[in-house]
Amino acid sequence: MRSIKTLRSDASHADAFKVGPTLFAATTSQYTLAEATSRPPQLFVLPKTATAESRVVTLQNPRYARLTRYLVCPKSGIYEFTKIAAPSAVPRSWLIESAKGQRIVTEGENGSEATVVDFEAHVTRDADIFVATPMDPLFLVLPALATTTTKSEAPKRMFLTSDDHFDSLVDSADSHLSQLLQVGKTRALLEGRMAVICDTVEAGDETMFRLNEDKLMDELLTKAGRMAEKLPKSMEERFVTRALEAPVVYKRAPAIPTEGSSDGGSALQTPMTEKSESQASLSSVGTVDSEVSQASTAATSVDLTTEEPITAAMVASEQVLKLQRLQVAFNFIVSAYVSHTFGATLKAHFAKHKSTDFKPLEEYLTELAKLKVEVMATRAATENTRKRGLEEEDDERAEKRRRKEEEEKKKKIGVSKGVRDLKKVNTSGMKKLSDFFKKK
Amino acid sequence: MLEAKLDQASILKKVVDAIKDLVQDCNFDCNDSGIALQAMDNSHVALVSMALKAESFQPYRCDRNIALGLNLTSLTKVLRAAQNEDMLTLRAEDAPDSLNLVFESKADDRISEYDLKLMDIDQEHLGIPETEYAATITLPSSEFRRICTDLMALSESVTIDASKDGVKFSCTGDIGNGAVTLRSHTNVDKPELNVDIELSEPVSLTFSLKYLVNFCKASALSHQVKICLSNEVPLLVEYALENQSHLRFYLAPKIGDDE
Repeated sequence: MRSIKTLRSDASHADAFKVGPTLFAATTSQYTLAEATSRPPQLFVLPKTATAESRVVTLQNPRYARLTRYLVCPKSGIYEFTKIAAPSAVPRSWLIESAKGQRIVTEGENGSEATVVDFEAHVTRDADIFVATPMDPLFLVLPALATTTTKSEAPKRMFLTSDDHFDSLVDSADSHLSQLLQVGKTRALLEGRMAVICDTVEAGDETMFRLNEDKLMDELLTKAGRMAEKLPKSMEERFVTRALEAPVVYKRAPAIPTEGSSDGGSALQTPMTEKSESQASLSSVGTVDSEVSQASTAATSVDLTTEEPITAAMVASEQVLKLQRLQVAFNFIVSAYVSHTFGATLKAHFAKHKSTDFKPLEEYLTELAKLKVEVMATRAATENTRKRGLEEEDDERAEKRRRKEEEEKKKKIGVSKGVRDLKKVNTSGMKKLSDFFKKK
Repeated sequence: MLEAKLDQASILKKVVDAIKDLVQDCNFDCNDSGIALQAMDNSHVALVSMALKAESFQPYRCDRNIALGLNLTSLTKVLRAAQNEDMLTLRAEDAPDSLNLVFESKADDRISEYDLKLMDIDQEHLGIPETEYAATITLPSSEFRRICTDLMALSESVTIDASKDGVKFSCTGDIGNGAVTLRSHTNVDKPELNVDIELSEPVSLTFSLKYLVNFCKASALSHQVKICLSNEVPLLVEYALENQSHLRFYLAPKIGDDE
């Protein structure tokens, strides 16, 4: 019986194999998948203010000093693109189909000839979407104006014509800046923005520009102030709420409801993990915004304030929150649009800028750091576990100890057990024999 | 040139065994009167002084003064190869870099020969004056060892009180206290069991038991041990050997420490 059974199952397997290829053959004959195009269509969200003369151009990115695409409209200004993508773990696609089944293909240098071509439906590999948002052209010219800052502490900047400034920007042949300057109002726009942050001098019929850092700071601070008024929720959560969040104290005995949150006297206080995150790396939310990942972090973070027995040891005042928001906004602007070196100088200026007093924020942060250290210490004591962060240090220490032991072992070869034991003997109160017997 | 022959290897074996737990490296100073050794422990609170007179060797020849710098654990390793009854011969050049040891078995014609590397040891010698001790106690070495080991179970130090009533070894520890008292006692049949106390004035001194127990490792050398005490002076524990040879230990007393 058994042998027959196996035979049968073998046969059924063989059948299944036969079916497979025939089915496959049928699909290929009916639907032929088109080959992937080398230049697949991409989705853009363009502002209504951008006119039909708008072009996607390549310009030097002021932050990273590499070529980046921008949308330039000769009338309304310059727009930057923000790519919004699904995380690679969650693959998505767009199914794109034009309503009229047509698309406009522009050809030639200035897009003079436009033809209407039938547009086929497409499935894109990724669900990317590019959003064009207006950007201050000021940042595009800033690298030219601030070139000399890296060389010395007090840079000597010359008054130069706008052309000279632009020339230093048009290093790369791929940059479209020189062409842009000839079209429409772009040049006037750039010069207008330059005038805001520069000292100007009229020389004949030309205007000379020189960067004034105070003016630049004022301009940036206004921008930051405007941004700080309404920070995006994800940024508010991550860089304001979390950064200022004090370690929370969990009380097992909720006898005293809210009184004395920082009171260490009540027993059974177990410090809980505080979710502190450095506020430094703002660049992660740079031009390429990963909104999805941020959304997910926001979702996983526990709203600690809702649970009653948990109280934060410190609460940031409204003034501190405001200052923190301003700082976050400023850091964001600088880290997104200003080159790294110049950004550092600007941040230094920002810290001691006269218009805003950061003392309350600083005091709060030092207090917070102190508190965190304390909480860490008590936690280490109560949990009696080793911290991960110390592992490396431990390795080093173990290595040292091992070497020491080896040395001792070498020494011990000539030392008897009795001699070693005598080293441990308490000889307090015993004078040395040389005190009794004189040397010969 | 040094050439010294011991009729029994056991003497040197026992001497080295007794010292090796106190001292790591030391010089064996050889001159025409014999082989001497003086060394302190690492803490410099105890001192060992050995003298093997030329008469203990047969024959003994030493043309020049030689210092044989030896590591005692190394010497022990080599001496382990000798039987107690073997004849042992030490040989060294005038400016030696090694010590030659020959063990000859009396029963058969077995001869084993070892060379031990020497080392340069910078040692200071202390001049030990002849002292009239206030109390001199002679007792069986096994008895002294027993007292020390028994009391060490209770405490790390012992107080020796010598008075006309006898000598009292007492200690106080965490778990309790204990005392052993000995009186002069003469055993006609076995003189090695005699206890003899000579006293010019009463003495009371405290010593580290760990060190005393360490000294007791020399018990195998002699049936009797002589303990000499005077106030404010190091204790002397002496094991006498044949032919005026001796092994002496000195230990600084514990003064004014009430922990």
